[in-house]
Amino acid sequence: MDKSTIVCRCEEINIDEIENALKNGAQTFDDIKRLTRTGMGSCQSKVCLHPVREIIADYHNKDLQDVGISRMRIPLKPIRMGTLATESKDSNVASVFGESVEEGDENR
Amino acid sequence: MKTDLLIIGAGPAGINAALTADAAGAEVILVDESLQPGGQLRQQTQLFSNLPKNKKKTRGTSLNNHLVESLNASNVKVLSNHAMVGSYLNGNIGVTDGFKTFEIHAKKYILATGAQEEGKIFPGWTLPGVMTAGAAQILINRELVLPGKNAVIVGSNDFAFEVIKQLRICGVSIKAVVEDKDQLQSEKQDLLSDLGNITFLTNSTIELASGSGEVEHVSIRTPSGIKELEADFICISNGFTPILEPFEVMNCKFTYKEILGGWLPAYNMNFQTTNSNCYLAGSAAGITTLGPILLTGEIAAWSVLEELEFISPREAHNQKKECWEELMTLENNNVFQKRTEIIADSLLQDNWNPKSYFTELQGGQIHG
Repeated sequence: MDKSTIVCRCEEINIDEIENALKNGAQTFDDIKRLTRTGMGSCQSKVCLHPVREIIADYHNKDLQDVGISRMRIPLKPIRMGTLATESKDSNVASVFGESVEEGDENR
Repeated sequence: MKTDLLIIGAGPAGINAALTADAAGAEVILVDESLQPGGQLRQQTQLFSNLPKNKKKTRGTSLNNHLVESLNASNVKVLSNHAMVGSYLNGNIGVTDGFKTFEIHAKKYILATGAQEEGKIFPGWTLPGVMTAGAAQILINRELVLPGKNAVIVGSNDFAFEVIKQLRICGVSIKAVVEDKDQLQSEKQDLLSDLGNITFLTNSTIELASGSGEVEHVSIRTPSGIKELEADFICISNGFTPILEPFEVMNCKFTYKEILGGWLPAYNMNFQTTNSNCYLAGSAAGITTLGPILLTGEIAAWSVLEELEFISPREAHNQKKECWEELMTLENNNVFQKRTEIIADSLLQDNWNPKSYFTELQGGQIHG
């Protein structure tokens, strides 16, 4: 396929850019995400996750089942910061953000 | 907000789970991000057979009307136009209506968040006029908008053929069906024979979709060379995969079964995930057909009712046994087999003893 084909449409990342990340040592979806912004746009990798996994599998000559998924985080839907902060009287918003701070990050 | 059971997703699985739990006296909140309940059933005008025995062969939309009517007549508190945004450290689920975000504390949760369609990339796939089969079905059956006049279909599974039938009824001309494998994927001969004279291109892929600002032209790579077509609409039917995000934020573990849609949450025979408060139902538990989707909702609800002591262990046993037996009859054998493999894995991990009815279903043993 033409290397200029877009894979992540939100961030306009093409096959060539993803393969470049792989050449630079990327192993997982999250590696590619950090190097290229793939999957960091408004859909949060809902569309490109599996096409990118296929590219990773091809490049590293792996079975698709050996290529993991991205780390998925709160909020699950695009939401205004103001909306996230309102009316949270029976708890606090910090706990929503606590997830990424406390559990850190695991590579899959 | 507090409740016995919070269900995320008001598709067929979520609604059936809600109705089952409500009928047994549990307090249920059902959250859905759409304005109306029904999920993907709202635009499924095709006929469904293989439904549980209390339901006749019917159109998806008719079944949906029936489910929503039952829901309206029940005590289930339905929060439409509300989305799950995440979970709190205390395990509660955060829900928003777009203006405010609040926490719902439930004794148990059922995530019935369904599946998403798999896209397919090719040069030009980001042009307007390229969409999935599910999107095309929403346009014609729900929004009453024609997605295009001349269509190229990518994929030849059952869903592709159902949508081709519906597009044709709306007057869309099907220019070609492009399949990258060496044969058509749908095994339903009746679907095929309904389609009449359509150009099927196997071992073929889209080389390029082009046009000024929208799809106008499609080049297809076939074994006999490049085929050029004028089309304003490309419809991709590349299968489904379970939606995983809600399970990840609820700290559920995942497993991989290709035939069930790839990565999906691990669960046991009660449709309980590795987070013991969190159950699942419907396509989130593996891609399957409508009958099994309804049954998984029911099994999850019976399990929750048992755990919360709304019903006796004996009644739960009988209800779940009945559902599992029906599930085995209705579900495609390969799909059911993979489902039991997931459950077998959970047994190994939890040192669970499988219920006798379950081992009976498996011919006396349960094997991955």
